[in-house]
Amino acid sequence: MIRAIRRLGGMLLTLVVSSFIIFAAMFAAPGDPVTFLIGNPENMTPERIASVRAQYHLDEPMLLQYWHWASGALTGDFGQSFHYHQPVIDILATRVPITLSLVCYASLLLSIGGIMLGVLAAVKRGRPSDTLIVGSTTLAASIPSFVLGIAFVALFAVQLRWFPVAGAGSAGMNRIYYLTLPALTLAIGALAIVSRVTRQSMIELFSSDHVEAARATGLAERLIVRDHVLRGSWGPIITMVALVIASLIAGTVAVETVFGISGVGSLLVDAINTHDFPVVQAVLLFMVVAYMVVTTAVDLLLPILDPRIKQKGVSA
Amino acid sequence: MKKSTHTGIRVTIGFAAVAALGLTACSSDGNSGNEEPQALEAPFAAATPRAAGPVESVTWMLGGEPTTMDADIDATTADDTILANTCDRLMQVQPDLTLGAGIASSAEWTDDTHVVLTIRQDAVFHDGSPVSTEDVVWSMKRHAAEGAAESDEYQNVVSIDQTGTDKITVTTTQPDAIFLQAMAGDGGIIWNPRVIEAEGDNFGSPSSASACSGPYQIESWEPGSQLTIVKVTNYWNTDVQALAERVVFRWADESAIANSLKTGEADGAYLENAGAAVAFMGSSDVSVFQGPSTNAWVLETTDRGALTDARVRQALSLALDREGIAAAAFSGLAQPWKTPVGAGAWGYEVDAFQQAFDALEGAPAAPSADNLEAAKQLIAEAGAPSAPLVIGSNGSSTHNVIANALVAAAKAIGLEAEILVVPQAQYGDFYSDAELRGQADLWPDEYYISKNDPLGFYKNGKSTAGVNFGVFSDPEYDKLVEQGYAATDDAKRAEITIELQKRWVENAVWIPVVATPATLIMSNTVTGVPSSAAYIYYPWAVDLGSSKE
Repeated sequence: MIRAIRRLGGMLLTLVVSSFIIFAAMFAAPGDPVTFLIGNPENMTPERIASVRAQYHLDEPMLLQYWHWASGALTGDFGQSFHYHQPVIDILATRVPITLSLVCYASLLLSIGGIMLGVLAAVKRGRPSDTLIVGSTTLAASIPSFVLGIAFVALFAVQLRWFPVAGAGSAGMNRIYYLTLPALTLAIGALAIVSRVTRQSMIELFSSDHVEAARATGLAERLIVRDHVLRGSWGPIITMVALVIASLIAGTVAVETVFGISGVGSLLVDAINTHDFPVVQAVLLFMVVAYMVVTTAVDLLLPILDPRIKQKGVSA
Repeated sequence: MKKSTHTGIRVTIGFAAVAALGLTACSSDGNSGNEEPQALEAPFAAATPRAAGPVESVTWMLGGEPTTMDADIDATTADDTILANTCDRLMQVQPDLTLGAGIASSAEWTDDTHVVLTIRQDAVFHDGSPVSTEDVVWSMKRHAAEGAAESDEYQNVVSIDQTGTDKITVTTTQPDAIFLQAMAGDGGIIWNPRVIEAEGDNFGSPSSASACSGPYQIESWEPGSQLTIVKVTNYWNTDVQALAERVVFRWADESAIANSLKTGEADGAYLENAGAAVAFMGSSDVSVFQGPSTNAWVLETTDRGALTDARVRQALSLALDREGIAAAAFSGLAQPWKTPVGAGAWGYEVDAFQQAFDALEGAPAAPSADNLEAAKQLIAEAGAPSAPLVIGSNGSSTHNVIANALVAAAKAIGLEAEILVVPQAQYGDFYSDAELRGQADLWPDEYYISKNDPLGFYKNGKSTAGVNFGVFSDPEYDKLVEQGYAATDDAKRAEITIELQKRWVENAVWIPVVATPATLIMSNTVTGVPSSAAYIYYPWAVDLGSSKE
């Protein structure tokens, strides 16, 4: 119980600190939101600038502005977007599901693909297929996601016309179809790290005593791999997959822009460029929360999968 | 005027994507990519060929997500592209950018400070209620209210009064010849007060009801996904027979727009950056059209140092290679230009403006030996500045090309110049932040005006104008601007405006670079829409139809 409270307290503190850092960073960033709020250069008279500043509390000291924001956020009011002139919460509500489906789809692809490749490489360790897997996934990881995305669009959408070039589609199967290329783009970069961790932790176990013992009993190699090697390796694999998934949410920034998806990633890019403070603040906090949720979920999941782990965790 | 907001990352990714697109295009048709870059040409007209028949559904791409349908809060280009079809205005811009009648069947200046509008009594809002003269007065007052986005259009207006069943008299403090032009823009939208009052703060949001009376209305708006407009059944103006039943708007960055057109997922798009149309030159499925707009790239000048001397500005203008810029930054889809505002501003007396434009000197397309000699002479007279010139840039490829061309121009006439890169998000602050302006002598930017009257631009040369950053002051010029505003007669106003244009260009207040026409990419299956900048105010979807019967 105390642990849970302490943990919750830690998360809250993380939120407060990160929200403050984000706010301060936006505040210090070059560029004046007033320029975007007025828009028309011919209207940028000193009087108009002053009145817009006052209207948006931009003339107040940073701490006071932060207080305005934080007190609103506590009551669930994240303010109005400077650019969309709609409540930030409404804007996020339409975009979060799109980004989450993209991240879930990509997570599924990278965990299944990464773990399978890792198992294969571990079983065939030292053979050409191992080298091929390690080499090709490392190569794939070295390609920035927006370059890969552009190449995918050019090949699979424009040239072969297998997939749509832009958008997130409507609900259901249509969405899965639309999100396949973006999800692949996000997942491919992460394949290397997941397959490498899987391979490494399995190889270590292959030479451990209990595996040797199992082998001595004449158990089939297939069962040894499944019940003794892979089972013992879940800890590091799941920890790594979780960390990768948590970072995918930030990775959507480039991928959503390339694929013309209106999710939180592309929203963040636009909001930063137009100094839309309330939206930047809310999107980054969403990313922080998502990160904490994923890592916490893993901490809770690990002891169930691997009873050896009881009190340790990855923690946010 | 309004500023378009290109975003840095999008520009970068966009170029990479266009390059990728180019690669696949090469591999598919086997052309070699080593040919010299050539200046491309697209048909230039006010409108695309007439449609042959109606069309059920058209998918149209926007450069950004619509934000709000309340134009009094703000209207981006994406918002305007939709509002143009859903809302009627007091006046209406025509595809050729001249001014036509709208909800006001006629408008007449009775003296210097009174304009009388006659309001049509047969118009009907989307909710079925008639558009009354009171509703029009209410709408104008909403636009004029302090803090409303279009309130600057009403700055000379003292009162708006209903003076008859179908008459409204607008009283101004001083003559304002371009007030009626403004009434064809967002400041002239006629709102349904009952809807706006019922919606309250929700008005303009995706779930809001329509407060307009235009030939289309929003059928559905799924934020983050798409927005659909549908033809209004029994549109009150029976002269207008809309051809497109439904237009589905989607949005993406430039490269995704190009790809959507290429694969046939979308049928058309008005582009914010003409250069992006290059991927379609020579395409058999998609055509590129260009038409008049007021947009022009200019080098805006500050009073930081040497450029307060008109001779230095003139010399730089003479030495600038505008043709080179048009080819390098816009693949030839921009025109070397002698004035700081595009031909789309010539909404009246077009011939007079054209002749005056042709006669202008001081901004050659490509500098000749004589031009360079004259420029060097000017520098010799003015005395070479002690410090190098500083040119602002935000690092985008267009800004960099223009900034580098200016560095080359300066070198050619014996001046030193360097480039100051300012982050994308800060670049707009050149307009609002005197301290930032103090760091550069010039900065390139794309400027446009929302009314089709060059006077609306040249007023910026007044010594008191907000965007005259201290390099130009001429009492006679100031007087001419006032006379221009007083000249409600088009011919007279054109004459005065032409004189203003001459003085502006002679003094190189800002250095004109290239005019960027409105650029449209459209599938060959549909046609009919304007290819001019009229699409932000004129209901272009009514003309959009099938190219085959």
